[in-house]
Amino acid sequence: MNIICVVKFVPDVDSIVCDVENSTLTGKNARVVLNPDDACALAFALGVKAGDPDCFVEVVSMGPMSVRPHMEDLVRLSVDRGTLISDPLFKGSDTLVTSAVLGRYIATRPFDCLLTGNRSLDGGSAHVPVQLAETLGLDQMLGIIRIDPHRFDSTRAVFEVEDEKTVTTYEMAMPGVLSVTRQSGYKLPYVSLSDMRRDVSDELVIITSQDLGFSQTEVGPAGSRTKVVKTYPQTYEKKDRHIVGTDEEGISYVFNFLKQKGFLVR
Amino acid sequence: MKKTCIFQDTEKTENTTDLLEVADRIYGPGQFESHAVLFADSFDRLCGSFHHIIRVAEGIVDRYDPRGICDILENLHKKSGFDSILIPGTSMGQMIAPRLAKRLQTGLVAGVTDIKNQGDHIEIIRPACSGKILESVLHKGDGPLMMSIRPNAFAYTPGDSLQTVVFAYTEPVKSCSAVTRLHVRKNQHTCDIRDSDVLIAGGGGVKESFSKLYGLAEALNGTVAASRKLVDQGIAPRSIQVGQSGKTVSPKLYMALGIHGSMQHMAGLRQIESVISVNTAVNAPVCSLSDIVVQGDAKEFIDRLMKKIAVYRS
Ligand SMILES: Cc1cc2nc3c(=O)[nH]c(=O)nc-3n(C[C@H](O)[C@H](O)[C@H](O)COP(=O)(O)OP(=O)(O)OC[C@H]3O[C@@H](n4cnc5c(N)ncnc54)[C@H](O)[C@@H]3O)c2cc1C
Ligand SMILES: Nc1ncnc2c1ncn2[C@@H]1O[C@H](COP(=O)(O)O)[C@@H](O)[C@H]1O
Repeated sequence: MNIICVVKFVPDVDSIVCDVENSTLTGKNARVVLNPDDACALAFALGVKAGDPDCFVEVVSMGPMSVRPHMEDLVRLSVDRGTLISDPLFKGSDTLVTSAVLGRYIATRPFDCLLTGNRSLDGGSAHVPVQLAETLGLDQMLGIIRIDPHRFDSTRAVFEVEDEKTVTTYEMAMPGVLSVTRQSGYKLPYVSLSDMRRDVSDELVIITSQDLGFSQTEVGPAGSRTKVVKTYPQTYEKKDRHIVGTDEEGISYVFNFLKQKGFLVR
Repeated sequence: MKKTCIFQDTEKTENTTDLLEVADRIYGPGQFESHAVLFADSFDRLCGSFHHIIRVAEGIVDRYDPRGICDILENLHKKSGFDSILIPGTSMGQMIAPRLAKRLQTGLVAGVTDIKNQGDHIEIIRPACSGKILESVLHKGDGPLMMSIRPNAFAYTPGDSLQTVVFAYTEPVKSCSAVTRLHVRKNQHTCDIRDSDVLIAGGGGVKESFSKLYGLAEALNGTVAASRKLVDQGIAPRSIQVGQSGKTVSPKLYMALGIHGSMQHMAGLRQIESVISVNTAVNAPVCSLSDIVVQGDAKEFIDRLMKKIAVYRS
């Protein structure tokens, strides 16, 4: 079975600090991490591979060359092939362009299943998996919390999706796109000591815009249909608050407020 | 006249009209023609609120099939040439909107929480980076303006009743998914915190006394919610988490017990009438949004308030 994991490296949002006073974001050089949902998707794929030596796992990411060392680290985790789609022209692509680029490359590869994360920490739109599926003419499902390892092969996959009110078990014919959330709890193994310094340059392929035959106007800001014009920290309107204590006076104040507003029916 | 198309999610029919508020903000009230698309058998209270209602006839498409639904919306767009297409940001909506945007080769903004009309252009606002920041997004190109709308972010106040034209959509769809639902089970926590008028929310400050919140919630006919702190510690289920990585809520009353009020938590609060916070620290950020701040121990507060309510009701 061939599995392609589509992953993204994101700034670790915990290391971004908002300076509310000056409406700025600091930590532009925040640490980069594998998007948590994507780590779960890859962990599941590696689990399948561990039980089936014939399983081939490829990791595909579109991002700047600076993520190359991170891709190499993934390749050290018994991933069969890593592909970094990278080109200065791609900088500033929206999800429509990103999915077109990923789709054009993936269409040239053999696969039975595409695994993605559910949403990315930075953008967090969950558009890429859906638009990638549409590009490739495949079915897709968001919000997957578990994939049944015994009913996962090149013909079909059975998995669970959680939403507000229900947990639903679905079966999808393969090939298809499955988007896994962090709630799945799948965990990546650690790189073994012997692999830590292994030269993996042969197993990591770099693909450029030219390799895929895109013109300058199709990608990056020129090809994008949305543009982020500014970012600013969340702020909230302040209220004229009334401060009380937990003594009789304070409790009475709250009680009367609740009564007056109609929250306390007898 | 501008045309806007609004999709109704079968699972969340009650929020459909709220998307009219989005259109109002884009075009101005009364400045657009509204088209609602819904499944024929789903209860519709939309007559009088929309100019056109398009009812998808039974048996045309599986209501959980995003590809089939996209066929219908794409087809309707080809016929009517919508200026904007608004999709609720529900589980289904999130699988429909990006597909449709791809087919129409148009830009899509996800999880929109605000619209700013700047005269010659509109800025579409959405939270990013886990709620730490807001992004202001511009739409480019000539495709329809597409957005998925974060549930509960907008509230619509009905205006004059309109003369609604109802139309049955009967064209068979071309694409459909090879996905089957095998089994559906209820999530243990079936009460959706977004449906409640009164939320009694607990955070790190009520770690040891969280179970007490259920009593207070019952007394006030409300539902218990939590901050991520308690969810991460396994004290509260994820389905009741308020905030950026949880849910957006707009109850009439939000009681924040032992909640600090981090950016990510506050990102989940929208159009709340009254906030009461109970905190040992009066300078916690949540307190500056509150109508009443009770300075003190939350457990003690609950016990004493419950006693007072019991006396009142006896
Ligand atoms: C990517 C990301 C996403 C996140 N998403 C969310 C989200 O969706 N929702 C969310 O809530 N958080 C979210 N967080 C976490 C958020 O940053 C905070 O860590 C969290 O909200 C803190 O929860 P808290 O206020 O309950 O707890 P704490 O920070 O521990 O605050 C406890 C509060 O209780 C008060 N207190 C202590 N003892 C008592 C007492 N006895 N009586 C009364 N008051 C007392 C304290 O003064 C304090 O204000 C996210 C974080 C990240 C990094
Ligand atoms: N640049 C990218 N390269 C590879 N995969 C991506 C990229 N952007 C998004 N994805 C995938 O799409 C998922 C959802 O991302 P997003 O649409 O940004 O919320 C991620 O978890 C990844 O699996």
